[in-house]
Amino acid sequence: MLLTLLAVSFIVFAAFEIIPGDAAVSRLGSNATKETVEALRVQMGLDKPFIVRYLNWLSGFVKGDFGTSISYNLPVSSMILEKLPITVTLTILSMIMTIGISIPLSLLIAKYAGSKFDRISYGTNQFVMAVPSFFLGIMMSWFFGMVLKLFRPGGYISYKKDFGGFLGYLILPAIAIAIPKCAMSIKLLRSAILTEAGKDYVRTAYSRGLSTMEVLYRHVLKNAMIPLITFWGMAVADMIAGSIVIEQVFNIPGLGRILLTSIANRDYPVVEAVIILIAFVVLIMNLVVDILYRVVDPRLRKD
Amino acid sequence: MKKWFKKHQNFNFITGAAITGILLFTVFVSIFATPYDTTAMSVADKFAKPSFTHWMGCDNYGRDILSRVMEGMGNTFLIAVLTVLIGTVFGVIVGSLCGYFGGLLDDILMRINDVLFSFPSILLALVIISLLGTGRLNVTLALGIAFIPSFARIVRSEVKKQCSLDYVKSAALMGAGHIRIIFVHILPNIMPVLLSSVMIGFNNAVLAEAGLSYLGIGVQPPAASLGRMLSEAQSYLFTAPWYAIFPGIVIVLTVLGFALLAEGTTEEN
Repeated sequence: MLLTLLAVSFIVFAAFEIIPGDAAVSRLGSNATKETVEALRVQMGLDKPFIVRYLNWLSGFVKGDFGTSISYNLPVSSMILEKLPITVTLTILSMIMTIGISIPLSLLIAKYAGSKFDRISYGTNQFVMAVPSFFLGIMMSWFFGMVLKLFRPGGYISYKKDFGGFLGYLILPAIAIAIPKCAMSIKLLRSAILTEAGKDYVRTAYSRGLSTMEVLYRHVLKNAMIPLITFWGMAVADMIAGSIVIEQVFNIPGLGRILLTSIANRDYPVVEAVIILIAFVVLIMNLVVDILYRVVDPRLRKD
Repeated sequence: MKKWFKKHQNFNFITGAAITGILLFTVFVSIFATPYDTTAMSVADKFAKPSFTHWMGCDNYGRDILSRVMEGMGNTFLIAVLTVLIGTVFGVIVGSLCGYFGGLLDDILMRINDVLFSFPSILLALVIISLLGTGRLNVTLALGIAFIPSFARIVRSEVKKQCSLDYVKSAALMGAGHIRIIFVHILPNIMPVLLSSVMIGFNNAVLAEAGLSYLGIGVQPPAASLGRMLSEAQSYLFTAPWYAIFPGIVIVLTVLGFALLAEGTTEEN
């Protein structure tokens, strides 16, 4: 895993090295004299060979120093640290919603498989999966803001000032991210539950006199969760990516905002740091998924 | 029950085909003519409500939304098709070579592929765009590259499965070369799987393109694009909600149509 992270960091660093444009020139503007540009290049360490710069950058990374933002002239780490709680809260909220809604709902749907209820939920599911989350966000801010007047679009409250208000503001964006994921999870979980429900151990459980709900919750669900764990693990990365767009919809100054403005300003240290951070999260999630497999399925623990 | 199920599948396919057919027809018509000029502004029609003259109303410059939606659909379709094309061609090449030959190359490429695959495609595209710059061509290229890993992964695992089958061995015994075995013998056999993943990929491409142009880094104005229209419409959400609703519905219908088609074809087999 560490090796993969190293490879990713190298590819990212190399990719941003290849593109034309001099960081020193872009920081000073085009009418800077040659001497000042040269001086800044030395100060930024741009005069050293590629590998040396990569190693410097990497060692800085390990120490938590992500470099200096070109356009804001601030340390990248403090910029990111300030915004990180927003995106993390948003992701956690939507993850909780996804899991909390999809498990009971798919159990319910699986219980009535083949009925009218199943068919209706199948149709709804197909439809919901086709709705892009940012369109859902726009429609929700229109509906809750305009029709019900429960919500003030753009009225973001900083988490430092009022954490409750901050959470309240994040609920709609989290729903917008969670709903498409919910639809996908329900679809996967329903078919997983139905496959499991046809197996022998389920019949045994019934013959022991357990009720349907007990069988579903205690036996079937555990086995049906296995494909879902993979999906949810990948969904975390997706949600972070989704929050980049949703933050724009609801005007939330999170990680996505930094990434977009940095891309527009060609502020590469920030872009690199955000990418590496997300790659790190992706890899951690892969690890968590592997561990969860072993928790859910004892057969995997042996080797 | 079984009969109902059979009917259900056909229902998927037929609805999907109908929606996609209507949308494709509209795109086809928009190549030759739109009801109004897509960039013609008119102060009198500013925020005109949907009516018989302007079916979907008008935007903040008094431009006809239906005409712009038609043009935007064309752009979205074009970008999505090219994206999937890039993704499929390179995905098939990388995936089949890795799956067929295996070995060190396979190990290295698939390790990289796994990391790229777990990276959300819209994010990957954003990174590539930050390297290449914005614009329609760059977005297509970026999305195309971002879609390669998922295709490569699917093709590789399918090719691996096929490799152990008898017909591949017989082909090798008959003296067929590696390239011939891969592209003439194995590839046709993985077509069904590839086809359904192409359709799902197309949907993801439509969604990703809409997301990117919503963020303002896709098709550049004055050319119309569905995502861009949504982001412009958001500022006027309270005065002209229809400006946001119609482009959004078109995106939903496009994705829904293809999702139903994919569902219908995979369950048919």
